[in-house]
Amino acid sequence: MIDLPKPVKLAWGIRRERRSLWSRNAVKGVSVRGERRKRDGRNEWRLWDPNRSKVAASVLKTKRDASALLPEAASTCLYLGASSGGTVSHIHDNVCGAGNHHGGQVVAVDISPRMMRDLVKLAELRQGLVPVLADARNPLAVAPYIRGKADWLHQDLSIGHQAEIFVRMTSAFLKESGTALLSLKAASERWMEGGDDARFEHTKSIIEDCQHLELLEVIDISVFEEQHTVFHCVRI
Amino acid sequence: MKLHYDWRLARVVDDQGVIHDELAWSSKRSSGAVADRLWDLQRGRLSPEARTLYDRFPEAVIDALGAMSDDDWPELDDEESKLFETATPILAKRGVANAAGDTDRRLDMLVSSAAELRASWTTSEARCVEWTGLFLSEVDLDAQRNDIPPTIAESNSIEEAANTLGVESPAHSPSDVEWQALRSHAIGVVEMTARLASHEGAIRDLAEQHVPSLAALIGPLGAARMVILAGGRERLARMPSGSLQVLGAHAAMAAHRRGAAPPKHGAILFSMPQISRSPRWVRGKIARFLAGKASIAVRCDHFGGEPWDEDTVAEIHKETEAIKAKFPKPPKRK
Repeated sequence: MIDLPKPVKLAWGIRRERRSLWSRNAVKGVSVRGERRKRDGRNEWRLWDPNRSKVAASVLKTKRDASALLPEAASTCLYLGASSGGTVSHIHDNVCGAGNHHGGQVVAVDISPRMMRDLVKLAELRQGLVPVLADARNPLAVAPYIRGKADWLHQDLSIGHQAEIFVRMTSAFLKESGTALLSLKAASERWMEGGDDARFEHTKSIIEDCQHLELLEVIDISVFEEQHTVFHCVRI
Repeated sequence: MKLHYDWRLARVVDDQGVIHDELAWSSKRSSGAVADRLWDLQRGRLSPEARTLYDRFPEAVIDALGAMSDDDWPELDDEESKLFETATPILAKRGVANAAGDTDRRLDMLVSSAAELRASWTTSEARCVEWTGLFLSEVDLDAQRNDIPPTIAESNSIEEAANTLGVESPAHSPSDVEWQALRSHAIGVVEMTARLASHEGAIRDLAEQHVPSLAALIGPLGAARMVILAGGRERLARMPSGSLQVLGAHAAMAAHRRGAAPPKHGAILFSMPQISRSPRWVRGKIARFLAGKASIAVRCDHFGGEPWDEDTVAEIHKETEAIKAKFPKPPKRK
């Protein structure tokens, strides 16, 4: 008989089996974008693909404790640049659970009406997920929707000045000792002498210069997503 | 003193956290009404309760992010949570529905659809002409080009088509099924020609409403493409004229970054006869001049200026002629 790999529990509803991540499906029997599902006793687990999710990629690539990158169940989460909600759905699996029995809140902000369409559909099945059609750079547009300061924040925008926006939004919304992830897309930043590396360095220095954030790790996820780097920070 | 508020409650709180006054939303609540309130807050407005309190305490500082970080702020009760949860999708759906009111998005659909249609029309039309030419060796594929697809579409046999086009019957005729295939292909081309015309008619129409001055200056189709390339009228209006000059010259700009000479003009400006029919050495000068004028035109359109009339445009075109006349000879090579 072969030994099955023992799953490693990273958070309430997230676990790793060898090189793959799974989240405990809050809506049984439904895949969000055609990912694999499997049953384990009374629970159903949904495969979290690191090629399509920068958070999953950074969980697999981090050299520190992977569970520090994930929000705890029942926490308040802010997701800027939610797109059609692939990653958001896995975060929701963990933070809210089926029928939001944890009582968490995931505020998913995106500016594109096309993406919001899919996000609204997702939110209809998932209690605790709040779809917001707004400019993620504007704190005033997000504030009415969030119930309090966030324990966990992820920013994934494809516009220029991502680091400045990240500093502004974390200072407005992140709780003390809350976790913040910035997925930096180098291709969206202004052209700079020295290419992508210079842009990552520039971002790093902006985060290091700001008073309220401590940079814990710069995670290189270029294996999964080209020209991307994730900055893992915590609010001081 | 600070004014904290959310969609259902407003409070005046001092620095010690003492509540001086508070006002809750008391009238009948519904998801639709909550959505309206959230929308107002999202745009930076005060809720009616907050406004009343602000009138009472004009010295209070409005803090839109205050309620969120206020530890004493009451949580939503069950009924309020339900209302909030039903209101947010209403608001998001409203935003999605309102996207159709955005002329930029509508123009984008039209222009992109027309571009795809034109691409497939070019291939299909060329195939139709070559196919017919294979059988009817006497047909002039240049002079009679435009007659070929409609003639094939309306004929019942290749001989009839030959007759209509005024040439000899073919030495080898296609089989029945082959002829049917050729004919239905030609019908497709004729239909596509009509569809393309209706697309471009709609683009002209929309562009003349949306960017009248720019349309008058560089033509409605070019104006529409320019708006799409820039990512909307607002972004085009805020663009420096140097960027506008090279809109549509992506490859040349990428090469320029690696050290090649800068492009003189983008694809849209080049499609104007003032540039494409001018000698090579004045094209850059005219493109720079027209880009400047175009950027003024789109600013007039976007920021509510007076649309340009024909005289203004005619004067600009006269000036381009003057530039051309000033440089009749190519510059000497150094």
